[in-house]
Amino acid sequence: YPSYYIKPVHKKEVQDELAKSGELQKLVHMPTRAALNDQTCSPAQDDLINLFINYIMRDGLKVLARDLVERAFENIKRIQLEKYHKCASEEDKQKIELNPRVIFHQAVENCKPILNLTPIKRGGVRYQVPVPITPKRSQFLSMKWLIAAAKEKDSKVRFHHQLALELIDAANNRGRVVKRKQDLHRQCEANRAYAHYRWS
Amino acid sequence: MIKSVASEAVMRRICISLKSSQFSTASQVQPNAKPPSFRTSENDPQKHTTAHIGQFYQIPTKERKIFLYGGLPKSYEIQTKTFNETCIMIRKPSIDIINCLKSLDYSKPAVRFVLFGKKGNGKSLSLAHVLHYGYKSGCLLVHVPWVGNWMRRCKETSNSEAKEGHIDLNLDAAAWLVHFKSQNEHLLNNPELKISKDHVWSKRENTPKGAPLTELIDFGINRIKYASSCVVSLAEEIKQLTTGGHCKTLVAIDGFNAFFYPNTRVFTEKKQIVHPHKVTLTEAFLNLTKFDWNNSAILLTQLLKKIRRLIYLDIFWDEMDLNI
Repeated sequence: YPSYYIKPVHKKEVQDELAKSGELQKLVHMPTRAALNDQTCSPAQDDLINLFINYIMRDGLKVLARDLVERAFENIKRIQLEKYHKCASEEDKQKIELNPRVIFHQAVENCKPILNLTPIKRGGVRYQVPVPITPKRSQFLSMKWLIAAAKEKDSKVRFHHQLALELIDAANNRGRVVKRKQDLHRQCEANRAYAHYRWS
Repeated sequence: MIKSVASEAVMRRICISLKSSQFSTASQVQPNAKPPSFRTSENDPQKHTTAHIGQFYQIPTKERKIFLYGGLPKSYEIQTKTFNETCIMIRKPSIDIINCLKSLDYSKPAVRFVLFGKKGNGKSLSLAHVLHYGYKSGCLLVHVPWVGNWMRRCKETSNSEAKEGHIDLNLDAAAWLVHFKSQNEHLLNNPELKISKDHVWSKRENTPKGAPLTELIDFGINRIKYASSCVVSLAEEIKQLTTGGHCKTLVAIDGFNAFFYPNTRVFTEKKQIVHPHKVTLTEAFLNLTKFDWNNSAILLTQLLKKIRRLIYLDIFWDEMDLNI
C-alpha cells in the first residue's frame, strides 16, 4: 500500500467515538487499507487476543494458533467452573472469575515489566543498565513470557492446557511468569547504580 | 429401536452454554432461584417413569462409585469433573428397559436387550442409567465398560495355558475383576454366594467347593497368571448361583459387537491377528449372554456404525444354540 493509505477503524464503538469528536469527517474521504481477516466489528472481538494469537502463530498457521488459544480459554473456563462448583459459600463463589477473557487481560497486566535491562558498553565493560520501556514493548514482553512459560512443559501435557494454567496463575499474581517479571525488577533495583550510564 | 431426536452431545452443549450464560460474571447469583425445569429431584432410577422423560437426574456421589473403573464415556467424564455432578438425562429407551425389567417373569430364560444407534446417540449413557437402576434394585452387576478396550487396546497378551491356541488378556481380566468387586461389594458379603465346584489352577493352587465367591475373585486379582480362567469360572458360578435363586443378575456389556469383529489389535507373538473367539475372555461373556439361565437380564450395546453387523451377531447366536 502507498504510505498515505490509512488503517481502517473496524470497531463500531471506536467509529461512534470518532463521530462524536468530529475526527470521523477527516477520515471518511481518505483512501483506506482493507481490514485484516481477523478484524471484525463483532463485540466478541478483542484486539489484544488477536495480537496474542499472532504471537503464538508459527509458519503462518493461523488456524492452529487460534485453535490453541480457544482451547486454552475453554480449559480456563473449565478449571474456573470446577472451582466454582466446589465452593461451599456464596462469597467464595462470587470471588471466582469465570470469564477467560477477563483472566487473560488480568494475566497480561500482571506480567508487564516496568523496567528492562540493556547492555551498555562503557570503558570496555558491558554493564546491565535498568532502562524504562514503552507500554507496547512491555505488553509484548508480557505476552512473549506467557507463551514461553507455556512451552516449558512435560511432553505429555498439551500446550493449551499449560497455557491455561499459566494464565490463571498470572491473573492471581503467582506462578512462573510473574516470578520472572519480579526477578527482572529485582535485578534492575540491584543495578540501580549503573542507571547514569544511560546518559554518560 | 432408538431414534435420536436430539443427540446427547447436543444436549450437553446446550447445557454448558446455558450454564455459562447464567454464570458468565462472578457477581449475580439469585438466592431464591427456582430449580430449572429440565432437572428432577428424583434421583432413584427405580422411581423413574415416562413423566420424567427429558429431564436430568443427578447420580448421588455414593452411587457414583459403580462407574469408578469405567462405564461412562470419556468426554462425559470430563463434563462431570467440570460441573462437579453426574447428571444423566432420562430417556425413553432406558425407561422402556427399566419398565421391562420391573415386569419380567424371572422364572423364564434370560431376556436379552440390545441398544443400537448411530455414534453419539446415547447408548452408553442409557446403559449407565439402567446399570444404576440395577444397582439400586440389588442386582448383581456384571458390567463390561467397553469391550473395545480389550480387543483394540489390550494391555498385555499371553498364550493361554488352559486352552491350546487361545490368548489370555490377563491384566485386563484382573482389572475387570477389580471393577466387578468394587461394583458388587455390598452383595458379595452375602454368605449364600458360594462356589459350586472345585477349581484347580495348578498342582498347589485350587479354590475348593463351598468357598465364598470373594475368594475366587481375590484369587484372580492376586494371581494374574490365572485371571482370565478365573473370569471364565466366575461367569459359570454366577450362572449357577443366579439359577439357584441366590441373587438376581444384570449383565450389561457395552460394545458387544467387539466380541465378533475379526479385525482386533490383539496379536500373537508371531504378530498375527487373533480372532475374538480365540480370546479366553470372550468365552466368559458369550456364556453369560446365552438364554440357558433365568433370574437375570442381559443388556447389550452395539459398538460399530453399520447396523447390518447385528445380523452377523444373530448368526453367531444361532451357532451357539446349535452347540448347546
